[in-house]
Order: sequence, then structure tokens, then C-alpha cells
Amino acid sequence: MSLYLEVKNLSVLYDRAIVLNGLSLHVNSGELVSLVGPNGAGKSTLLNAMSGLIKWQHDTLKGTVSGKITLNGSVKFDGAELINLPAHEIARKGIILCPERGRPFREMTVQENLEVGALFLDKKVADDNLEKVYALFPVLKKRSSQVAGTLSGGERTMLSIGRSLMSEPKILLIDEPSVGLAPLIKDSLFERIRDVQGMGVTILLTEQDVSFAFDLASRNYVISRGKIIAEGTSQELLANELIRETYLGL
Amino acid sequence: MWFRKSVLVIPGRVIALLFGITLLLFPLITADEAILRIVTFAAIFSLYAVSWDTLSGYTGQLSLGHALFFGVAAYASALLDLHFELSVWLTIPIGSCVGALIGLIVGLPALRLRGIYLGLVTLAFPIILSGIIFYFSDFTGGEAGLYGLSRLAEDKVTAYYIVIAIVMCSIFIMFKFTDAKSRILRTGLLLRAIREDEMTARASGIDTIKYKLLAFAISGFFAGIAGGLYAHYIRVAGPSTLELIFSIQVVLWAIFGGMGTIYGPVAGVFILYPLTEIIRFYPHGEEVRFILLSLILILSLLFMPEGITVWVRDKIEQECTRCKVINAATRRTCRACRAPMYLTKKENANQGKE
Repeated sequence: MSLYLEVKNLSVLYDRAIVLNGLSLHVNSGELVSLVGPNGAGKSTLLNAMSGLIKWQHDTLKGTVSGKITLNGSVKFDGAELINLPAHEIARKGIILCPERGRPFREMTVQENLEVGALFLDKKVADDNLEKVYALFPVLKKRSSQVAGTLSGGERTMLSIGRSLMSEPKILLIDEPSVGLAPLIKDSLFERIRDVQGMGVTILLTEQDVSFAFDLASRNYVISRGKIIAEGTSQELLANELIRETYLGL
Repeated sequence: MWFRKSVLVIPGRVIALLFGITLLLFPLITADEAILRIVTFAAIFSLYAVSWDTLSGYTGQLSLGHALFFGVAAYASALLDLHFELSVWLTIPIGSCVGALIGLIVGLPALRLRGIYLGLVTLAFPIILSGIIFYFSDFTGGEAGLYGLSRLAEDKVTAYYIVIAIVMCSIFIMFKFTDAKSRILRTGLLLRAIREDEMTARASGIDTIKYKLLAFAISGFFAGIAGGLYAHYIRVAGPSTLELIFSIQVVLWAIFGGMGTIYGPVAGVFILYPLTEIIRFYPHGEEVRFILLSLILILSLLFMPEGITVWVRDKIEQECTRCKVINAATRRTCRACRAPMYLTKKENANQGKE
């Protein structure tokens, strides 16, 4: 196993508010790693920073209050530095973000949403990928001509994972896949994420639902106030009384 | 065979076809120069409206100063014509390229601004330009404008056909450019993705900066063609092409016809523009016409918020829920898969209730 994705000393400040405070973590090739922590711990910011969206926000909103962003540290993928790359080039390298609640293109059909994921790829490759995604998520095929804004929460999450798969990801960054989903749908999503991992995709996901994350992941990080405060397998973390009671609420 | 299968069975396409044929045969129908003039203007303005739709309807970059591209190209063509005595076939393309260049320049702030803020910035550009034009009035003709340009053609009918041909080709190119279903050009899907959610588009590997600028340049180019045609047709390039009302008018035409459809703005112009011109012939028409126009707009936005073409399309066409083929609304079974269409209607009705 090689060090595939490595985040070192990553700091993000929104104006003077510290969101990420010198955070470091790594993901090995083929792993499924989870990142758990409460609201406002910096989970989404971390994923957005890794996929270049924080930098984009900084560049486009420069000079306004919401553009006062400081971004420091290093994100390395396969030895190459990503921190200064624009978001679309990071995506083309195979690091794909599934945003929270899916964030589909609401007025476009499911199929169009999926096709957007493969716009930078060859047309033939895109068609193959579409078949694969439909095989993995039959419900998306059923809804292929439906407008994405009318999908349910679970379907939106699946759509966003499907769109990411269209881009031939090496690493998927999934932001809170289970948020707001009914237990049954959670279970089916759980299986699908397993399937995606089975396809050879490395996954880093954030979660608030600790049991969901721990069942899925082979390794976990606990994040609080922009810092990693614990790392380990589910058993190790659950065995630690302090962490279990203070941060996991189990 | 292809024609029967893919045009004659879809009412919307039949209407478009009939409309195209009518335009081509129009000089045979009437020899009245005033009417021919109105239709020629409508064609030029429909190109202008479609270029707005490409930028604002499809890409979501609100332009409230679209007259800039129209006016810049009109002036550029006029200057080239008067000072360098180039042929019309050079002045209009060069003028349009100037329009595209200006589009790129206006596009730069668009990389950082969104929605109404972008609208306000674009609104300012034509005002700046008319300021410049009044300042250098020796060179630009000032209030009176530049007049005495070469004609498009010696007689009105030839000029009409030149305008119609160029406008039709240009609109067809923009139609393909923005067609999300196209298998060859992917720009349609791309631009829509940028409109819907720029952040997700970027995260999906799309260089949104590049394509936003492309949309500005394309839109500026085709608005420029319209401006060049206009200037050579009326043989004047004046500051009225940069006026605020002209920028707003294109928004109204496009919204009335149906934003983000290409054919919508065409219909909008061909309905509203002749209407406002014909009212002028009647007593008190000059005073009443904007009141009447505003009333039509308010009513149409109340009852047809997506535009008149979309409203009509939903009445005469239906999509089969099983195979997604478009059918005439009168059919009881789908023409491709033979599935009964009443299911579709029922489902649509139920969806409406929810």
C-alpha cells in the first residue's frame, strides 16, 4: 500500500475564523476512510479545499468579505501537489467531490446530469461509463429523463455518486452521504458505496452518523475544531472511552 | 423518408418549417415596402434576441446591456465602410469580430460577478460607450450618427433575402451550439451546467472560466452580425443602437417568447415587433403602443410565465413517458413504441396536483 493522498498542515481561515487548523491526514490506495465529527468541525471545508473549490471561492470573491479566505498547507496526490491547481484540473486528475445533499443540476434531467460528469472525456468512454453507472444504480436509469430537482434525497445522493463515477475517479470525496436519509435508503446507499469501492475506487467520506461511517470504513479519523484528534479502526476508537463519550456520543 | 419521420410528425417542427417557408416566400406575398421593411427588421432583431438568449438564457450570465455588442458592431462596420470603403461582405464580419472581442472584455467581470450584479455592470458598458461616442463626435458623428453607408443590395427584395439567409444560418449555428441533446457539440450541456450550478460544474472537471468567456464571445459575435446588418440596411449607425431601451427590449422579447429555447426569442420578436410597428399606423398609436405592449407582457407573464412558445408547445406536443419520443398532442398511442398516450396525460395531470 502506498501513500496515495496526503494532506499536510492544511489550514483554512474564513476571515479571522479558523476552520481548519493545521490538519494532516492520509489515504492509501484502495482504502475507504471516514472522517467523523460534529457540525462545524470543518469536514466539508476540508473536502472543498482538497477539490480546489476553496481556492476558486478565494479567487473569484477576492476583495469581498466572503472572499477573505486564507489557504495554507499541502495536498499531495500520487506525489503531485494539488493546492494551487484550479478545481477542474483537480477533477481531471481523478479526485472527484460528491457535494453534500448531491447538489444536482436541478433543471436538467438525470441523464444530462450524469453526462456532465464525463464532458471532459471521450464520447465513447462516456457512453461506457453511463452504462456502468446505470448498472450500479438501476433507479437512475428508471428516472433518466426526469428532472433532477424532482428526485428524492437518496436519489440525489446516488445521482451525485453516479456523476462522479462518470468522471472515472481515482479518489471519491463524498460529503455526508447519509444526511437526511431514511434508514432503509441508508442501507441501500451503504451497499452502493461498498460496490463503488469494489470497483477499485479509493474513497474518503465525511459523516455525522458515526455507526454508518464506522461500519463502512476500514480506517477513521475524528475531526473537531479543524483538527484531527484521533485516528484508528472502528474498534480502536470505540475502545477509547474518552473519545467515545466526548466526540462520538455512543 | 427522414423528413416525414422527424419533421412532419412533430407539430412544433411543422410550425417552424411553415414559418421558414413563409419568410422565404414573403416578397411574393406582398410587395409593400413598409411591410417588407418591418419583417426585415424583425429578422435582424430576432438574431439579436437569440444572441442574448445564448448568453443569458442558456449560460445564465444576465446581460442588461446587450445593445453594446449590437451598437459596437454597427459603428465598427460604419467606420470601416466610410473610412476604408471596404465591401459590405468585409465590414459586417469584421464588425462582428469587434463585437466578439468586446464580448470577451465584458466577460472578464463576469468571471467574478453573478446575477443582478453582473446585470448592472453590463448595463453600464453601453452607457460608457455612448459617452465616448458623444465626446469624439467628429469621428463618430455624435448625435446624428454615421450616415450614408453602402447598401446591402441595390433593391429591397435582394437586401431582404441577404438578411434572411444570414439570420437563418446564424440562428441555426447558435441552435446547435446550445443544443443539450446534440451528440457532436457538447457545449449546450456544458453551458447549461454552468447556469445551473457553477460550483458543481467546476467540480466535474469543466473549465467554467473558458466556457463563460466563450459564451460571451459567441453572443457578442452574433449580436454584432445583427448590428452590422442593421447599420447597412438603414444606412445609419447612430447612438440609438446603444440606448438603454434597446437593451431592455431584447430581454422583454426573449422572456415573452421563452428564455433558453432559441426559437422562443425568435417568436417573441416576430410577434411583438410587428405589433408595436403596426399600432403606430393607427391614430394615437404612438402614445398607446407602449401601454399596450406592457399590458401584453404582464398578462403573458401571468399566464405563460415560461414564454409563449413553451406554452404553445405544451399544448400541441407530448412526450411519451416510456420511450421519450415527442408526439403530437392528438395521438392516442405513441408513434414509436405504441404505448397508449392517455397514461402520459394522466400522469402529467397527477403530477400537477402534487
